[in-house]
Amino acid sequence: MLWIRIFEFPSKILTMFFSRIKVLILICVLGGLGISCDRSPQFSEPLPKVVDFNFHVKPILVQNCYLCHGPDPSSRKAELRLDTYEGATAALKEGGHAIVPGKTSKSHMVQRIYNEDPGMVMPPPETNLKLTEREKALLNKWIDQGAEWKDHWSFIKPETKIALSDPKAIDFIIEKKLDEKGLEKVPLANKNSLIRRVSYLLTGLPPNPKEVQEFLSDTSSVAYEKLVDRYLNSPAYGERWARHWMDLVRYAETKGHEFDYAITGAWKYRDYLIRAFNEDVPYDQFLKEHIAGDLLPTTRENKETGVSESRLGTTFYVMGEGTHSPVDVRQDEADRIDNMIDVTTKTFQGLTVSCAKCHDHKFDPITAADYYALYGVMESTRFSPVPADVGKDKKLAAKEIENLNSYMRKLVAGKWDTAKSNYENTDYAQNTAVNTNEKAYTVIGDFRGRDFDGWTSDGFAFGQRSTLGNPIVDMATGKLLGLDEGKASSRAIGMGIFGALRSPNIILDKDFVGVRALGNNSSIRIIIDNFQLIQNPIYGGIDKKVNTGEWNNFVFNVSAWKGRKAYIEILPGVYERHKYNLQEDAFIEAQYAVTYDGEWPSDLEKNFTTQQPQDNWASLEISPSKVTRINNDLKKGKLPPHFPELKSVLDSSQQLAKSLKTESFVNGIYDGYGIDSPVFNRGNYKEPSEEHIPRRFLSVLSLGDSVFKSEGSGRMELAEVMLNEDNPLTSRVMVNRIWHHLFGRGIVETVDNFGLQGKLPSHPELLDYLAVKFQKEGWSVKKLIRAIVTSETFKRSTLKSDALANADPNNIYLAYFPVRRLEAEAIRDGILAVSESLDSTMYGTPVATHLTAFMQGRGRPGKSGPLNGEGRRSIYMEVRRNFLEPMMTTFDRPIPFSTFGSRNVTNVPSQSLILMNDPLVAQQAEIMAGKLMEKGLVGFEEKVQWIYMQAFSRLASSKELKKASDFFEMLRTMEEKEAGNENQEMELWKEYCHSIFNLKEFIYLI
Amino acid sequence: MGHHHNTEPRVISRREMLGLSAGGFGSLALMSLFGTMPLGCKRPGALESASNLYLGPHYLPKAKNVIFLYMDGGVSQVDSFDPKPRLAKENGEDPRKKFKVDATQFDNVGKILKSPWDFKQYGECGMPVSDLFPHIATCVDDIALIRSMVSNFPEHTNANYFLHTGSGLQGRPSMGAWMNYGLGSENKNIPGYVVLDGGLVPPGGLDNFKNGFLPASYQASVFKAGPEPVANINPREGVKNLQEEKLQFIKQLDHSLIGKIGEADAVESAISNYELAYKMQSSIPELTEFKEETEATKKLYGMDSDDPNLRGYASQCILARRLIERGVRFVELTCPNVGPGVDRWDQHSNLKKGHEKNAHAVDQPIAGLLKDLKSRGLLEETLVVWTGEFGRTPFAQGSDGRDHNPSAFSMWMAGAGVKGGTIFGKTDEYGYRVIENEVTVHDLHATIMHLLGIDHKQLTFRFGGRDMRLTDVHGNVVKDILT
Repeated sequence: MLWIRIFEFPSKILTMFFSRIKVLILICVLGGLGISCDRSPQFSEPLPKVVDFNFHVKPILVQNCYLCHGPDPSSRKAELRLDTYEGATAALKEGGHAIVPGKTSKSHMVQRIYNEDPGMVMPPPETNLKLTEREKALLNKWIDQGAEWKDHWSFIKPETKIALSDPKAIDFIIEKKLDEKGLEKVPLANKNSLIRRVSYLLTGLPPNPKEVQEFLSDTSSVAYEKLVDRYLNSPAYGERWARHWMDLVRYAETKGHEFDYAITGAWKYRDYLIRAFNEDVPYDQFLKEHIAGDLLPTTRENKETGVSESRLGTTFYVMGEGTHSPVDVRQDEADRIDNMIDVTTKTFQGLTVSCAKCHDHKFDPITAADYYALYGVMESTRFSPVPADVGKDKKLAAKEIENLNSYMRKLVAGKWDTAKSNYENTDYAQNTAVNTNEKAYTVIGDFRGRDFDGWTSDGFAFGQRSTLGNPIVDMATGKLLGLDEGKASSRAIGMGIFGALRSPNIILDKDFVGVRALGNNSSIRIIIDNFQLIQNPIYGGIDKKVNTGEWNNFVFNVSAWKGRKAYIEILPGVYERHKYNLQEDAFIEAQYAVTYDGEWPSDLEKNFTTQQPQDNWASLEISPSKVTRINNDLKKGKLPPHFPELKSVLDSSQQLAKSLKTESFVNGIYDGYGIDSPVFNRGNYKEPSEEHIPRRFLSVLSLGDSVFKSEGSGRMELAEVMLNEDNPLTSRVMVNRIWHHLFGRGIVETVDNFGLQGKLPSHPELLDYLAVKFQKEGWSVKKLIRAIVTSETFKRSTLKSDALANADPNNIYLAYFPVRRLEAEAIRDGILAVSESLDSTMYGTPVATHLTAFMQGRGRPGKSGPLNGEGRRSIYMEVRRNFLEPMMTTFDRPIPFSTFGSRNVTNVPSQSLILMNDPLVAQQAEIMAGKLMEKGLVGFEEKVQWIYMQAFSRLASSKELKKASDFFEMLRTMEEKEAGNENQEMELWKEYCHSIFNLKEFIYLI
Repeated sequence: MGHHHNTEPRVISRREMLGLSAGGFGSLALMSLFGTMPLGCKRPGALESASNLYLGPHYLPKAKNVIFLYMDGGVSQVDSFDPKPRLAKENGEDPRKKFKVDATQFDNVGKILKSPWDFKQYGECGMPVSDLFPHIATCVDDIALIRSMVSNFPEHTNANYFLHTGSGLQGRPSMGAWMNYGLGSENKNIPGYVVLDGGLVPPGGLDNFKNGFLPASYQASVFKAGPEPVANINPREGVKNLQEEKLQFIKQLDHSLIGKIGEADAVESAISNYELAYKMQSSIPELTEFKEETEATKKLYGMDSDDPNLRGYASQCILARRLIERGVRFVELTCPNVGPGVDRWDQHSNLKKGHEKNAHAVDQPIAGLLKDLKSRGLLEETLVVWTGEFGRTPFAQGSDGRDHNPSAFSMWMAGAGVKGGTIFGKTDEYGYRVIENEVTVHDLHATIMHLLGIDHKQLTFRFGGRDMRLTDVHGNVVKDILT
């Protein structure tokens, strides 16, 4: 079925010869008669003057050829690849060339596609693929014109010749294309439609009637621009655009799977997004905060609270599904990382890198090595509770406490300076590192020296060094009780403060992990393959609570996970049903950690295993043995013990420590130790390659070859390469998303796929213009939106002639504005706004999900939330993975498992049933009728007009008024048949309002 | 993007699209619009677009409908359909001395545990069935039993997702959604994929029944016993005919909107959806009231039982029959909650009590269903599938329970295209692992689709840069159990 067949079956060569003649004849005929001779309707459009590789040829190759002659070598046939110029023009091993530029008669490809012999024709009949005559003619003409090869369009850096500041640029490009296509643009929409359109698309809410009146009566030339600015500056703008973003990052507040555990503080990320869009944080900063917000050298602070915003961005990594007690913890990690790669690459680069998990991408130049380069980045990223209230103040306070500790050591050392010489000859025996190589144990960390032995101290609690030599002072008298022994202590800074001490990655090769520790309300956890949902069954034994005032040996049996990657985590606070709690009295201290077989290695208690740097008396940076001798001498009265001046220092330190307490956490990430992953053959971790792929970006993109040098995950470098000015995707993908949200369709329709299988841009010139503008003008989302919505293209009416509708049925060329159904949130929020029961309170913990009888299963909350969601906007409704709001999903809010830049717009009866029968809609109609009664409106007409202004931002026509009055009349006759209703008037208006919610004009932007 | 339209494999006029989207559940009438289209004409490299539409079977189907009896929690194969005398002989011995024991989810490996139930042979075929299922045992000549099922996952949720969607992770379309995407529904007034919630939503939640990346119209409609069998199906208007009048009023205004904006397919479809929704309001309650059912039929299913769980499941089985009679493509029944103290079929302890309570609730209704279908001639066109998400260990968890075992379990099919009285596949002498003719969940999906006339390799949907399939890149039809 392949190229090679020609040579496998020599008898066919003859056939080929004849068919070649046929090809030539066909070409002659085409040349002579022109294309009009073809009866196929597809031929009605003339071939382009210049056949472009990206826009005309490659779609044909991708669809018909690449499965066997594409980038993936595992499925490549006849050693021929048609995805590169070199491959397509290389000598076929049997002689000849698939493509000879400029020479159609010598190009085997031409011979094969025109061949009529089923054994010879390409693509082979059994693939069910068939080229149309036009496709064949395009390929032929392209080869004839020299077969110019280009990189995939989206991998070429965008450029524009149009002045970035040109206010007419968008209309210019759109209208040029309309002219080319002979399409006539429609007039601009009326002001009522415009304000409704702008209000809904920028804020997700209908305009209130007062705003409509103001706009209608504002006759100034900039009335529309003022309107746009008003909505861009409305807090509701951030709520609308944050929700768009949440679709990309599979936003959810629980982890789904069996018990639907909470994702602590997810809503803080939602609030972060709302603030970021409202403040118009430049997109490059926004991207950096997502990819590496925990690693930025300077962070962005909340203007009001001073709390650092940047780190909250990284929460998106944690939004995935979480498995309850997976038996194969390594597979669980692979699945988790796959989802992280999938979401990260689709969201920021519009590429489906996850397709390269099992083999090189079938269509895009993305290799399995690219996938595993990113796999290493994600594997080196660890999870952690992250305090959500850390700002500059806290960082300064923590630093100050460390300074005070150091000052206290210096003060003591200074006072004892004369005794210094007594300790110069201290025996170092106790201080010598013990060689543990031949023992049945390996020391993973020993904190009895001055440092943390290579472990990472995250947060504030542990400070940056051990407690060795810290003065212990009686607060009442100022008497020095002694110098502290060496240990890692979360009390070093203060109690109830967040911090975590974590080991480097180890490979488990012994039966037990042991940690010598004491503490209160604290935990030691063994994190295997970054698995966090530690609990019974299976994992209960690797999370131990520490509640003991005496040194204790904590033993973890890890024999089930030999060969697995793991690290040890020591932290104050405990996890309860996977929610991290840090109590005020929580602290933990540890001396050392070890892995061992058999008995606990008791000799370790006496033998330190860490090499210490040189002593420095002036700052009391001294060895453990010196500390012991000094303490003995102090007891014997050989050293002066009174340091009243330490009292005030300690006091300040304790005051500062109070400010470091945190109760507000998010499930977040922090940077681990760099791991390069092997390639997993066919995606199976049990079949790793020998070679490990260094962490880097996608090799097809600029700087994709440069290996990340960071000792951690390399996410900072990842953010940098995405933002490199030569990256062709970052800006294009984002401006296209914005265009999509405003017009309902992207310039590239497949907003999450800019690869070879994605759609081509309808207006490449426009996409590039916007991408360059966005990049050069400070990555401002608001500015870009403003530029788009103030164009005439955006302001056009939806009303079009049948002829226009038929000429461009999908409205690709935007001669008119597309009619769009509102999104789930906009429908619900619109109902609340129109009935005047919307509570516009922003931010905060989510409103509990309203549970219907149909929402059952494990993890179901004990209590249902209110039917009306407390009147809050939909973005504040809880998103429980296993209990998704039926109204939201029915109106196409995506299930949060992957990136959805473009929602489906379905049309199903359950949508009608919601609007007809759902108690929420009925309730809101009643509320609206009640509000109407309170307005003091006298006439029937006045009331109907109030409702029309509320619901449709316009007045009812006389015909609509007549219909309304007929409706009421009919209702009255019906009601009379029923027994007298006390509140009849109100009841009738309720039915009318309910009907209004059911009108298509209510859920469509007209 | 004009140049692209030229490469689309087929052009659907906008009017046809309109009809299609207004079909709601997709209907045969609409399928015929595309009936001339060669199947499999969608190109592997086709660009992501509306051309994902797929309609009609690939070849002559044996089955029109599927009733999927989901045994939530995992029935023990060695206590139901796969007798293992050796367990009795070695009862109480250490399994680790007999064979390699895999990691289990509860890691509490006890002794080898013999089945508390006896097995007897039934029917002409002589298929052995344990005393747990005396009623189903009377139907064995219609049943093709597979004893060599394996799953990829020992955890409920992954295994549930896997069984329902072909992937262990959240977010893929359920098989019922795939079948409807592939074949459409034959009834415009009832959804084509219905889940009868008997009380237990399986771990993983309603996502087991979702549409994943397929359009939302393919997700399951969940029916519940009680006055409101489907969400929002009951009109709220207190006054008779009031809703009709309102809908008339709405329709008039909606039509004048069309006049204002010119042709707008989406809006027109939304208007016609109201008619469909309106009809559902009467067609669904009619379905769930069993007015036409005779006492004899009800009794056959066990509606006269003292066990409320049995009665509940019986009424679900009757409803399932009524649904497929009306052309519903795929009906799944979830299990009744037989607690307290018994959590689905998931007997980590107290195997005897738990399995007995569960079996008692479902045995007679299932047998009743098979017999009723048969007597009405419906079994010929209906595939009945009975399975859990995995099996259980032949050794005890603790002293009297069994842990999850994905390495072997039994399931059966009956009805359309299935060879009754067949036993396929074999486990080792302990019933712990499959040793012959292993059948994967992908194979099961491929087989179900095959019986419905669908080639599982051809039914694809483009998502995230790939042509997705229910069977991913796997799946072989289990031909040996087919007629």
